Formats: sequence, C-alpha cells, structure tokens
Amino acid sequence: MATALPTRTATRCFRTTRPRTCNQHIHSRRAFHSYDHPPPPGPFGATETLILSAAYKHVPEHGFTHRALSLGACDAGLLDISPSALPDGAFSLIRYHLYTQRLALAAKSSHIFQGEDAPVGVGAKVTALTWERLMANREVIHQWQEALAVMAQPSHAPASLKELAMLSDEIWYLAGDTAVDPSWYTKRATLSMIYSSSELFMTNDHSPDYVETNKFLKRRLGEVQSVGGALGAIGQWVGFTASAGINVLRSKGARI
Amino acid sequence: MNARSGLRLGARALRASTPRAPVARPFSTTIPQYDQGKHTHFGYETIPEAEKQGRVAGVFTNVAESYDKMNDLMSLGVHRLWKDYFVSTLNPGATTPLGQPQKILDVAGGTGDIAFRMLHNAHVLNGNPNIELTISDINPAMLEVGRQRSLALPAEQQSCISFLEANAETLPSSIQDNSLDLYTVAFGIRNFTNMRAALKEAHRVLKPGGIFACLEFSKVDRFPLFNAVYKQWSFSAIPLIGQLVAGDRDSYQYLVESIERFPTQVEFRDMIVEAGFDVAGEGYENLTGGIAAIHRGIKPLR
Repeated sequence: MATALPTRTATRCFRTTRPRTCNQHIHSRRAFHSYDHPPPPGPFGATETLILSAAYKHVPEHGFTHRALSLGACDAGLLDISPSALPDGAFSLIRYHLYTQRLALAAKSSHIFQGEDAPVGVGAKVTALTWERLMANREVIHQWQEALAVMAQPSHAPASLKELAMLSDEIWYLAGDTAVDPSWYTKRATLSMIYSSSELFMTNDHSPDYVETNKFLKRRLGEVQSVGGALGAIGQWVGFTASAGINVLRSKGARI
Repeated sequence: MNARSGLRLGARALRASTPRAPVARPFSTTIPQYDQGKHTHFGYETIPEAEKQGRVAGVFTNVAESYDKMNDLMSLGVHRLWKDYFVSTLNPGATTPLGQPQKILDVAGGTGDIAFRMLHNAHVLNGNPNIELTISDINPAMLEVGRQRSLALPAEQQSCISFLEANAETLPSSIQDNSLDLYTVAFGIRNFTNMRAALKEAHRVLKPGGIFACLEFSKVDRFPLFNAVYKQWSFSAIPLIGQLVAGDRDSYQYLVESIERFPTQVEFRDMIVEAGFDVAGEGYENLTGGIAAIHRGIKPLR
C-alpha cells in the first residue's frame, strides 16, 4: 500500500497523500489562466475518473443514471456498489460530461481556427465555438432533458451554474477576447443565456444535422449584437449630451 | 415504573463497577498486546488504552435497552433520517445483473439499525435477496438487542443475517481478506480504542472497489451560531435526558464528550485516506449542518 502512495499525490481529489498535504484545499483550483504553469488537476480523482469514464460510455443507452454508473464500475473492474463513493451520484456523471467537453473545446478550437473557412473576428469565433460545444452534446442529446432536470435540482444548481459560467468564460477566452472593461461580465452572462437556451432548443430539435438549432443560435447571437449595439449607441449619446450640457453650463459661468 | 427503577438500579450497579481503577473491570478483556503505557481518551478523561474497551463496553451495556428511545429524544428523531439517507445513498442490493451476491459487514451495528435498513433496501426496494449481511459488535448486550429485533423481520430477511461478536480492530479470520463489498459503521467508530487499526482492518477485508462508509457525529464549526445552540443542547440537555429516561447520566456524559473529542470531518477523511482508501470529492458529506457526517472511501484497484 505504502509504495502506491507517491504516484497518487498528483491527483488531489481521490487522494492518497500524507496528512500534511491533505490539509490543503482538496480542489486545487486556480482563479487565473497561466501560460507558465501546468493546469491544476481536475476535480476528479483517479478511481473517480476510472468509474466515470467507463460509465460515460453507457450514457447514450442508459442516460445519466445510477445504472450507467454501476455498469461502468463493473467494466472498470470495480464493484456494483463502487459508485456510491461518488458524492453526487448521477450528477457526478453529468459534471464529468460538462467538464470533459469544456476541456475538449480547447483542442477543437485550434482545429476550427485553421483552414480556409476559419472564422474571422471574435464574434464569428464565439459562434463557431458555441456551435462546436453544442455538437458535443449530440451523442447524449436524447438523455439531456433528464440531465437538465437533475442539474436544476437545488442541491446541484450552484455547481451547474458554475460549470456554465466556466464554459462561457472558456469560449470567450478561446475566441481571443481580451476585454477587461465591464463588458467582461455582460459578455459572459449573455453567452451563458444563449448557450443554455440553445441547448434546450436542441433537445427538441429533430431537423437533420440540427440546422434549426444552428439558426436559433445565430438568431440569438444576432439579437445580442443588435441590442448590444443599440445600447452602446444610447450610451454614447447620453455621454455626449451630458458632457456637452456641462460645457454649456460652464460657458455660462457655472462653477462645475 | 418498577421496571424502570429496576433498570436504573441495574445501571447504577453497573456504573459503580465501571472501572476507574483497573481492579474491577467486568467487561474488559485486557488485551496483552497493547502497551500499558499508551493512553487514549475516554470522553474528556485520559485513560490507559487497555482500559478503554472495557469502559466503552460498560457504557453500551448500560444504554443497550434504552438505546432507541434515547436516540429519538437526543436527536429529536433526526437520527432516523440520517440513517435512512446513509443507507439510501449506499443503495445495497442494486446490482447488475440483479441478484448478484453482495457481502456486507455492519460494524458496531449491534442493534441492527443500519443492517435492517440495508436489508429492506436490498430485498424490498431493489428486489435482490442475494445479500449476505454480518452484524458485528464488540458488545454482546447490544448484539442481543439486535438479535431480538431481527425476529420481527420477514423470514427471508432473517436468513440473510448473521451475528458476530468481534473487535473491529482485529476482525476474526472468518472474515477473509478482499471478501466484502461494503463495510459500514454508524455511530460506532468514535468509541474504538484505535481507529486507525480499525480503518486498516476495513481496508484489508474489503474487495478492491469495495466501499467503506461511516456515519458519525462530527463538527458544526461552519455555523458558529448553530454550533452554540447545539453545544448547549448536547452538554446540558443530553446528560439530563439520560439521567431522567435511562437513569444513567455518566454514559450520556461520555457520549457528548466523545463526540467533542472526535476528529473533524477533514481530519477523519485524512485518516481514511491514510489507511489506503481513495475518496471522491471532499470525501465527506455533512448532515444537519455537520452534526453528523458521512465519510465514504473506496478501496482502489491497486
């Protein structure tokens, strides 16, 4: 047993480390992106990943359920009861889907952004990435309504929303958005909204290759751009009028 | 009334003989391998390790009969919810294909509280009668309570149970290495003289992929205000209830002190990890703000 310990220290969640290191926070997360340091280990530990990755193969047939988990555990050489070690049960499997598909986006993005018909500009890249992420649900879309219901349960909602926020952050980051003004927030909020509504639309979409979902997504993104543009124009007008008004008052001798 | 005063008298007699000095120790079997110089805690007292087992035995012999009534009063009935939840998250008997055998050991489960729930879960909810359940306890009095209660179960459920009087720190050789699917201990591990030894033993007997699950009182440190109320309740009300209902203040004083001495959620999780288990996520789950907590570990493949 003791000889197995050092190899496992890398994974923080399923940890078999010494007590001293155990006192560190168990999810070693980083609130920033670093080019110089390797990414922190994910939220899933060794045995947890073993179960979840094996169970994930059963999702198209059995959904995000305990049954998929226990079939997966058996495939991985564990026992039927092993998945009961997972803290959130079936939700762990949903989180695994969200997490792995979010990370997969980075690899896909370099693929999308190469070639002749590569999207140009941040807006087009965001559209392409969002579409790519929606397509990652293709295999499990018939189980996704059930998954959304689980995600919406009060005990799981915070984790689901966090995952959604991280997804839109990832998309904006990969699209090359570097804005650091208050639009940082509005961009992420609107993209989260658009992504989740498109996802919901997709669960009922039976058109070939989800063309309806694609149109839906483009309509929503277009709306945001036009509304965003209108809001920006209004803001500019208000700002100009206000400063002009102040200047007029100053020219009249007001001490402003 | 007669019965109660009888119980009370009995309890008092037992309490009187509960050893302070190592001379009279009715329930203790002094274990020679323990170093006499080593000390452990018994509530807030520090006592030689060899003595703890006997002292705990005294406590549980005293409380065995009024166990259920007292649990209801002390936890205001919530302990039933905790136990239900504990068993339902483990979901014993849910196997594919259905009917595959599952071997379960319920340690410190004398009164059968957890074991009977697991049986119900497997037999009734999952329709899988193919489980083997061993109820183990160090204390014959508690085990006797469980044996009596098990007579009320349906016959097919009774046939799945066996009783075992054993020390969880050194399980008998009848429980082989890598032989169990599930090892549960509910409100018991706190009383073990050597928790690390018991965890190692749990790791030994579980199959790879087997689950160690522990339901135990824990800390409410995250909610200071609630914690204050809870502490007030446990240090003032619980010994008083014990005195009035079970006629035994000392045993319940020990109970609250031992809860206070039990490691925090994180410390205990680290002990589980140290024993060779993997944990998923935080490795524990708080119930009622942390008054109790469920710790689960999984024995890794290698």
